[in-house]
Amino acid sequence: MKKKLLALVMAMAMILSLAACGGGNTSTPGSSPAASSQPSASTPSASTPSASGDQSEPAAEPASEFKVGAIYINSQNDTAGYTFQHHNGIVTAMKELGLDPETQLLIVDNVDDGDDTAVANAIDTLAGQGVNIIFGISFGYIGAMDEKSAQYPDIIFSHGTGYLGNETNFNNYFGRIYQARYLAGIAAGLKSKELGNNNIGYVAAWNLEYAETCSGINAFALGAQSANPDATVYVNKISTWGDEKLEREAAQALINNYNCCVISQHCDSAQPQLVAAENEVFGCGYNSDMTEQAPTAHLTSAIWHWNVYYQTAIQAAMDCNGDASKFVDNMGGNAYYAGIKEGFVDASPLNESVAAPYTAKIMDGVRALMESGTWDVFSGIKLSYEVTNGTVNISRTAADLVDNQGNVIVAAGGPSVDDGVIKGSMDYNVAGVIEG
Amino acid sequence: MNIRVVKRESAGAGRQIGAYLAAVAAALILGAVLLAIQGVEPVTFYQRMLTLGIPGNKYPFRILENFIKLFVPLLIVSTALALAFKMRFWNIGGEGQFILGAICASAVGLKLGEALPRPLLILVMALCGLLGGGLYGVFVAALKVKWGTNETLLTLMLNYIALYFLQFFAETKADWNFFLDPASARPKFVKFPESAQMLTIPLGPFNLNLSLVAAAILCVVIYLYLKRTKGGYEIAVVGDSPSTARYAGMPVGRIIIRTIFLSAALIGLAGAFYVSSAGTLSASVTNDVGWTGIVVAWLAKLNMAGIVLASLLITVLQFGCQSASTTYPSIDANFANLLQGVILFAVLAADFFTRFKLVKASKEVA
Repeated sequence: MKKKLLALVMAMAMILSLAACGGGNTSTPGSSPAASSQPSASTPSASTPSASGDQSEPAAEPASEFKVGAIYINSQNDTAGYTFQHHNGIVTAMKELGLDPETQLLIVDNVDDGDDTAVANAIDTLAGQGVNIIFGISFGYIGAMDEKSAQYPDIIFSHGTGYLGNETNFNNYFGRIYQARYLAGIAAGLKSKELGNNNIGYVAAWNLEYAETCSGINAFALGAQSANPDATVYVNKISTWGDEKLEREAAQALINNYNCCVISQHCDSAQPQLVAAENEVFGCGYNSDMTEQAPTAHLTSAIWHWNVYYQTAIQAAMDCNGDASKFVDNMGGNAYYAGIKEGFVDASPLNESVAAPYTAKIMDGVRALMESGTWDVFSGIKLSYEVTNGTVNISRTAADLVDNQGNVIVAAGGPSVDDGVIKGSMDYNVAGVIEG
Repeated sequence: MNIRVVKRESAGAGRQIGAYLAAVAAALILGAVLLAIQGVEPVTFYQRMLTLGIPGNKYPFRILENFIKLFVPLLIVSTALALAFKMRFWNIGGEGQFILGAICASAVGLKLGEALPRPLLILVMALCGLLGGGLYGVFVAALKVKWGTNETLLTLMLNYIALYFLQFFAETKADWNFFLDPASARPKFVKFPESAQMLTIPLGPFNLNLSLVAAAILCVVIYLYLKRTKGGYEIAVVGDSPSTARYAGMPVGRIIIRTIFLSAALIGLAGAFYVSSAGTLSASVTNDVGWTGIVVAWLAKLNMAGIVLASLLITVLQFGCQSASTTYPSIDANFANLLQGVILFAVLAADFFTRFKLVKASKEVA
């Protein structure tokens, strides 16, 4: 965008100057668009990183030689959003493992996931500078990572949200975020029941296009229905992963058109929560605890603890002792898919001041069920809750899992189909979800 | 105080080049100050940037190969844009023409991948890229000649049509969409067959991308075309004054159509080279080259040697900055853009002050 603007200004300048060339004396107006791109001068206090990685540290442990590479879709200096979450996760994990992110973390950021050449170049840049493991956080990196993992057998490749891998140095990682969404759905359902309004809104980046998005919608809807069987989830799709203006408009439309009393979201910014607050309704965020942004509206967010994965992966990579081919074995397979049990995903701390009574207790009960592994979201068993004398009773009933076209996905009592989420084949909405 | 701008007598070529070099140096110094403010040691940073991070690199030749992959499209596009700009035809549709070239080349590469031998297929892909980009551009030229439409607006808007076309292919999973990988549940472009991937000439550990050779030849040919042929002369005349050209009996409409086809076709060719070198189509395939090309053509004053230098400089900036910034948390790809902008405006200022001077206006004149 910035470049486009610059180019347009150039084109205009060119037209003007060439047109004006004939006319002797001219004075050009002092426009200075260059000033618009100020460098982000954050972290000024950070101790100057020694440039060419001189190993002044006398520590003999090989850990000080270990280098982590990362390829980000946005800037490492972001203060919120997807890249921020991952960067935070990697830095936290490295510190936890005694690695120094200042010198041992190499980053190429702002790598467009729609440009295969750019991704391949970023990988080569990191590889050439001697990293031991490369994390790529965006789905679109998949082709380049797959190819380069074969080209560099001595480097470990780890691809977030992807599905490819090999038996030696290439894995993918993602999490059962749908479990966290189910918990958030419970909070939304209880709130809607308390308010006596069954309409719940959901601002979605995409819906059926990606298993990642429709599984989130489905899990949220099932959670809401477990608390309020009459709840309907209205989905407003914005067809992009993040656009603050569209997110805002979509949330407002849900409130105006369907009188939604809770607004959930799968998009980058906290705008839907702000809109909920402005309209004095409630909301469930995503990616980070958004109670800070919308204290009067926000109930709970589905959040990731990326550092859980990054710590596991970097530890496994260091345990390879230079033999990258052992990585997949060390990780116990080439697809890392952890959930609530491992602490990889969770619902953020409940905002008690706005949540319906007993919400926290019910969420805790369901969380314990998921942790025990005895029940999961997309199974033929529905949960329902009863509160008697302050104690919460969770009952399980066998019931078909039905999509919104009336097809039975899982027969009553059947096992959860979470592999549809992992392999990306889930392409339906459950009953009670309406895309409008 | 009253200041007037007065044209200088004449600025010699040496003086002008000196001013440009001084401008680039001034921009780099300003960049160094910005780096220092952020706690980055400027000399080391620049050293790594200007050498593309090659010293001490584990795979230096691969860095060079990647550099060429970015340099070639920018060089070709800038040259092609300069052709149009010389005629004062404001082709800012480089992005769109590039995408069309890329799509056409990919379609052929995927459809005929099994049928044709590699050198032939790459040639056919290049031709289809030429044709795709060329027709997309010549459409605007024809409208301009016929009805006097504004080419700046039309080429700009056609960029978006091409871009959304490409996005549609990138996101629509369907049986007819052979651009996508059928094995992937999520939409993802399929890899080209081996025979559709750009040929390289192995020189020891280094693989020379054939498109660099093609681009070098193209530059020479275009230079000769502009300097030594009737067609090239006609471009200059139409650019200076269409009515003069008409008075001299030149078929102005034909010249415009011919030149714009050539300009857009070359941009399409660059698109074909890009996807063929990448071995796959991508959703944002252009690397902004249609925009950067305008900057380069302008920096070079539409001069062929200048274009080679300027596109080299810009690619070094962008590519080198990435290599140099990996360990600095405060420096990211935006720094290259910033530096590029500063250089551009410094050069513009230098250009202005070699051609004009500021004098205090005397009372009578004011």
